[in-house]
Amino acid sequence: MTSVLESAPPSQVAGNPVNKQLVLDMQDVRGGYGDADILHGVSMQVHAGELVAIIGPNGAGKSTAMKAIFGLLNVRGGQINVANTDIAGWKPNNIVKHGVCYVPQVNNIFRDMTILENLEMGAFLRKGDCSAAFDKVFQLFPDLKERRYAHAGNLSGGQRQMVAMGRALMLDPSLILLDEPTAGLSPKYMDQIFEITCNLREEGLAVLLVEQHAKQALAFADRGYVLASGHNRHEGTGAALLADQEVAEMFLGG
Amino acid sequence: MGIYELINFYVIPGLVLGSIYALGAVGITLVFGILRFAHLAHGDLATFGAFTALAVVATTGVNPWIALPVAMVICAALAVGIDKVFYDYLSERPKIITVMASLGIALMLRSLIQVIWGVDTETYTRGIVRPDNYWGFRIRDRELYTLLAMFAITGALWLFLQKTKWGKAMRAMSDNPDLALLSGVDNRLTTMLTWAIVGALCAASGFFLGLNTELKSMMGWTMLLPMFAAAILGGVGRVEGAVLGGLVVGVAEELSVLVLPSEYKAAMAFAILIVILLVRPTGLLKGKLL
Repeated sequence: MTSVLESAPPSQVAGNPVNKQLVLDMQDVRGGYGDADILHGVSMQVHAGELVAIIGPNGAGKSTAMKAIFGLLNVRGGQINVANTDIAGWKPNNIVKHGVCYVPQVNNIFRDMTILENLEMGAFLRKGDCSAAFDKVFQLFPDLKERRYAHAGNLSGGQRQMVAMGRALMLDPSLILLDEPTAGLSPKYMDQIFEITCNLREEGLAVLLVEQHAKQALAFADRGYVLASGHNRHEGTGAALLADQEVAEMFLGG
Repeated sequence: MGIYELINFYVIPGLVLGSIYALGAVGITLVFGILRFAHLAHGDLATFGAFTALAVVATTGVNPWIALPVAMVICAALAVGIDKVFYDYLSERPKIITVMASLGIALMLRSLIQVIWGVDTETYTRGIVRPDNYWGFRIRDRELYTLLAMFAITGALWLFLQKTKWGKAMRAMSDNPDLALLSGVDNRLTTMLTWAIVGALCAASGFFLGLNTELKSMMGWTMLLPMFAAAILGGVGRVEGAVLGGLVVGVAEELSVLVLPSEYKAAMAFAILIVILLVRPTGLLKGKLL
């Protein structure tokens, strides 16, 4: 069963949007912090308008894979193509300019700044008028508009996550990387964040998501990758991974 | 003692001294908040600024007030240069190494000042200025201008930090440096901008100390402790806190003479520093925890 999922090229996996533009194409990426490798050959692809979840046990390299894309660790092999340009080894501020935005799991807001200022920082590289970007973010997160002059550090966990995502969206990225956006949130906010994440996909963004809540994430996701020990273990549509016996036993808690 | 004596002989001199501390403390708080280390060369950079203004006055004969902006620009360039040659080179190392390096810079700057200008006491203008009387309050023009200039400079800085793109970038870097980087803020440029501002503030601080007292090669070094006390009292990373802290430390030092022998004036800053760290380590205006 798993061999089918592993060996099938992405275009043949059911539900894969072949007609959509390939935004992220990560091939056999190896690397880590310092000298020790954590990723031993991770490959994944995300298309425009596609929500892809990375799941796996603790220490599998999920967040590390995401940080590799964003230039936050030493990539020693493989390719990270975004919009047909290999960005491996680029500095984060150049990667941002290339249309990739990253929402870290923790410390993802400017606490002493207002919501509005957080969003302005997100638009730091933007030249000229940003009002359209503000409108778009406030439309996605109406809660933030009401409280836009509030200090971000005074917000609840769910609202902070919205600020963090809003900040990342200010540059109109083509690919957004979300590192455990629902960690530590109440079920109500968790649903809301998942819903917003799905909305981003509808708007044509490529969304790559690392999730601890693997079942929920796979239910929403178009496709998923299961990582273990820094390797690709499985890949497939969200539904196929949820239905897979081995994935269920090993990674979804039976 | 009446209220007029108290204000004329203690509060007004305290506020003037406090304004001088405030200008230094704002710089210290910026370095602490954004670059995350205690800058021990701060006082000697202020001395350098004061003497630069003196050099401008001596060579061109202009009014000291025209020398101030010149000294601020030169000191800003010097601070950016020191960062480029020394601190930036150490930025990947533990911060304590940069702190120690800044002590070395302090000694180098002081020696340089002594080599260029000697160790004698200097003044910008000669002669005694009598204070003017405003409804019983006696204040000299230069004291009034020191207070006004301090509020103008720190007010302008506050506006810059609140309203402009690069000011916000500096605050963002102070708040969350990793996220600032992820947002595309160039931390090298932000650091250089911070040093330019800090250098200018140092020059202003030294200039006003020289204007209200005298210029000595040790003048800045002796201000270092009260300036740090002011920055921590106000809350590290907060400009308005540093201004408040500076004024409180200045007034407290002057008032201490009422109850303590005047030799202990300098100990007042130390006492305030210890008390604030024990009682409210985030400072009056809730700054960063050190």
